Amino acid sequence: MSSFGLSKKNTLGDRLIIGSVIVLALVMIAPVIWVIGLSLKDNSELMANMNSVFHGPYTLANYFHIFGSSSVFRWVLNSVIVSGSVTIGILVLTSLAGYGFARLNFPFRNTIFIIVLLGLAIPEQAVLIARHQIFSEIGLHNTYYALILPGLSAPFGVFLMTQFFRAIPKEYDEAALLDNASRFKIFWKVLLPLTLPAQATLGIFTFLLAWNDYFWPLITATRKEMYTLTVGIASSQTNFAQSEGLGFLMAQAVFASAPILIVYLFFQKYIVTAVSGSAEK
Amino acid sequence: MTAQIEIKNVTKRYGSLTVLDNISLSIAANEFMVFLGPSGCGKSTLLRMIAGLEAVDDGEIAINGRRIDNLPPGKRGLAMVFQNYAIYPHMSVAENMAFGLRNISVEQSVIDARIKEAARMLEISHLLERKPNQLSGGQRQRVAIGRAIVKEPEAFLFDEPLSNLDAALRVRTRVELAQLRNRVASTMIFVTHDQIEAMTLADRIVVLNNRKIEQIGGPMEIYSRPVSEFVARFVGSPTMNFLDVDIASEGGFARATFPDGAKLQTNILTTGLPEKRMKLGIRAEAVKCVSEAAAATTEGKVDVLERLGDRTLLYTRLADDSVVVAEDIGLSRARIGDTVHLAFDGTACHLFGSDGKAYHPAEGASAAGREADHV
Amino acid sequence: MSDAQSTRAALARNERKGLKTGTANINAPRWRNALFIAPYMVFFVTLLVLPMLWNIWLSLHRADAFSIGRFIGIGNYDRLLNDAIFLKAVWNTFYFVLLSVPPLALIGLGLALALNRQTRTAAALRTFYFSSSVLSVTIVTLIWRIVFIGQFGLLATIYGWFDATPPAFLSDPDLVMIGIAIATVWWCIGLPMMLYLSALQQIPKEIYEAAALDNAGRWRTLRYITLPSIKRTVILVVIIQIVMQFQLFGQAKLMTNGGPNNESLPIVFYIYQMAFTRWDIGLGAAASEVLFVMILIAAMVQFMVSRKKGDAQ
Repeated sequence: MSSFGLSKKNTLGDRLIIGSVIVLALVMIAPVIWVIGLSLKDNSELMANMNSVFHGPYTLANYFHIFGSSSVFRWVLNSVIVSGSVTIGILVLTSLAGYGFARLNFPFRNTIFIIVLLGLAIPEQAVLIARHQIFSEIGLHNTYYALILPGLSAPFGVFLMTQFFRAIPKEYDEAALLDNASRFKIFWKVLLPLTLPAQATLGIFTFLLAWNDYFWPLITATRKEMYTLTVGIASSQTNFAQSEGLGFLMAQAVFASAPILIVYLFFQKYIVTAVSGSAEK
Repeated sequence: MTAQIEIKNVTKRYGSLTVLDNISLSIAANEFMVFLGPSGCGKSTLLRMIAGLEAVDDGEIAINGRRIDNLPPGKRGLAMVFQNYAIYPHMSVAENMAFGLRNISVEQSVIDARIKEAARMLEISHLLERKPNQLSGGQRQRVAIGRAIVKEPEAFLFDEPLSNLDAALRVRTRVELAQLRNRVASTMIFVTHDQIEAMTLADRIVVLNNRKIEQIGGPMEIYSRPVSEFVARFVGSPTMNFLDVDIASEGGFARATFPDGAKLQTNILTTGLPEKRMKLGIRAEAVKCVSEAAAATTEGKVDVLERLGDRTLLYTRLADDSVVVAEDIGLSRARIGDTVHLAFDGTACHLFGSDGKAYHPAEGASAAGREADHV
Repeated sequence: MSDAQSTRAALARNERKGLKTGTANINAPRWRNALFIAPYMVFFVTLLVLPMLWNIWLSLHRADAFSIGRFIGIGNYDRLLNDAIFLKAVWNTFYFVLLSVPPLALIGLGLALALNRQTRTAAALRTFYFSSSVLSVTIVTLIWRIVFIGQFGLLATIYGWFDATPPAFLSDPDLVMIGIAIATVWWCIGLPMMLYLSALQQIPKEIYEAAALDNAGRWRTLRYITLPSIKRTVILVVIIQIVMQFQLFGQAKLMTNGGPNNESLPIVFYIYQMAFTRWDIGLGAAASEVLFVMILIAAMVQFMVSRKKGDAQ
């Protein structure tokens, strides 16, 4: 089954298509290979002659240097704390809210839900400045609070979890009601375990977005030790025009990409579901 | 545990739409009561109102004299078996059965004992640790029943539990349900649209149609003395035959003239009959295929033949094009296109007025007009 | 105690505990049920709704880092309209959207069509093409700077083999936006591809079978069966990409710093400069409102255009 219908597989046309896709892939990966190559060279060698990247000797010195430098590790730690907290927070908040919107009745429920959905249309830039002011007022810049809390207001998770809860047959709730379960117990013991796929998908999605966030961490974490990895990498970029420590910089980039790529490879199934799920809006 | 259930003047509305109108009925303790009716007649809604899953707009529901319609579902002492079983997918069979009891803090030893007993009764003891997705449809249904049994409820509620089973399994499970009923002496309310299930399982049947109760009675009463044309049509397979006839009085009893001119003497008293033109209702088993014209009421041409093994159904067309389903022996020699002689049993027919009301043969009617007249 | 008694005892115990009875309708609206949405709503209101409204309010004042200052109504908007740099930023943003969205939509479509098959190669390639989207903007810009940068970038090195100089994607005013667009397409191609793939996989197999019985060849099938079936997704992809690329920021800041001469300055970078470098909060807020409205209009226009096309079918 393909986009071209049921015609015979492995025709010349097919091979050409896959061939061009592979060629394009090679073009796409070239920059990455370049970066990796640079990261494996001694800095001074590169400074002397850039072409030295195409032949040995290769070295892991730059990577060892990272382990010596404390900043990068601090940044990784910050990212892990922030992304992890946002993810857990979102999962808890949106599961509760999703259950509330999908299964329970309270005054103005539908209106409130629509307002939350409208929140999806608000771009980050329309709230950033005001948020910055708010956190200035309460003096919470350069803290984990400032990095974590705004992420918990994102409506996408509520939308996803509400849809998911709605899709679970109501009979489970009814059987549980007859089994003398309280509404919370129905949420906790009966329905929540059935939402694990959605939790995984939402969790991965949220973690990724939080990890890669740039603008907000940039303006709220101004002290070096509060940088997240994303912001930290950007800060070391600024003066490599002198190509001093170029190899080291590239090693940092590779090192910074590694965690997120590993997470991606492990969880690609859920990421794909997240993306395709939102196509069915 | 057994309960006497009283439903008084219950009405249910969805916005401006009335789904149940002033329903009243009594269910005796230990009775197997069936709510029967077509889709949308409100039978499931009535069951769910008893369970507490739908609110009662007007009226009252009481169990053993105690009013329950203002109690939450869990506090009514009822257990329900759902059409799709609704057994919790991520819990094992044993956990499913224990859930309800755990929620009301019953002692673990009591829970274990009850699960063991119910599992033995339903022959699912070997499945207690399995998850629902490892069970077949029939096994899942038994788990749903087991979950209800361990609660030792005042009454059991069944919401079309056999609808999701394939034909063979349905028959088997019906028999098992009947056996269960004998072992667990309890009040049971069973909702179905399948009149065979109703006929075979019920002590009494409530036939619901169009927001109201059409008839309440035992299976045979519903079958042989349906109170309205709707009930007569709904119960019995194949459906009762209906013919438009003209009535004349013959010795105080109604004598019907068929559209094709044939005449049939009935045991129905003419007094009290509202009109001269009514519908005659007669079941297929009362219309037999005979070999001699002399013994027949009329004749018809065979349109369709259904061989059921133990009998053959002949869909015959009379001279005026009305269709009558007749019954013949299993090894009937009739073929499509044949003209056959049909003998109608005048003592087994009913008359229906234009308002659908039914008139039945008088009790202990004399043999007046037993021999069927013929054209 | 017999079993029957113990159940009754348990139920009675619960009633004595004062659990509410008398709840006649389990579906009736109750404030108590709103407790489930309350935790989220706290964050939603305080960190999304309030800031959004506050932002609008700020845009109407001469605000700076320390105070909200004087109310000046549409004064900030007036300044924006008269600020050549802002207008340049708007132009740059439109230009960028025009540069990046068509390639994203079309290349993504091409990849999805090509990789919509069950082979392992295709699966591996799909994973590969999506992986770039997983990286953060700072890593992507690092990679592409080191590709584009003159003298020792990848391009420079390759051109150097032929004794030529590469196009100066980071410094030539005519090329900077294009350079950013190239990096952006490299980065964002995964999402459109995935959206198309999910839509393609929802085309029922029977349609292809019917087409085969109707003797439709490969290209006919593609043109008349496959593509029309995913029309809605194409529109969705375009809307999403327009909204996303309107918000261009990181690539411009890190690759070219908005230069040279504001040639690659997008609106969001303008906002950042005004609000967080010059601390002209009011002006920055006003610019962000303008961006908000532009995004909304763009999305709505697309939506209505797609509606019309759909009705015309």
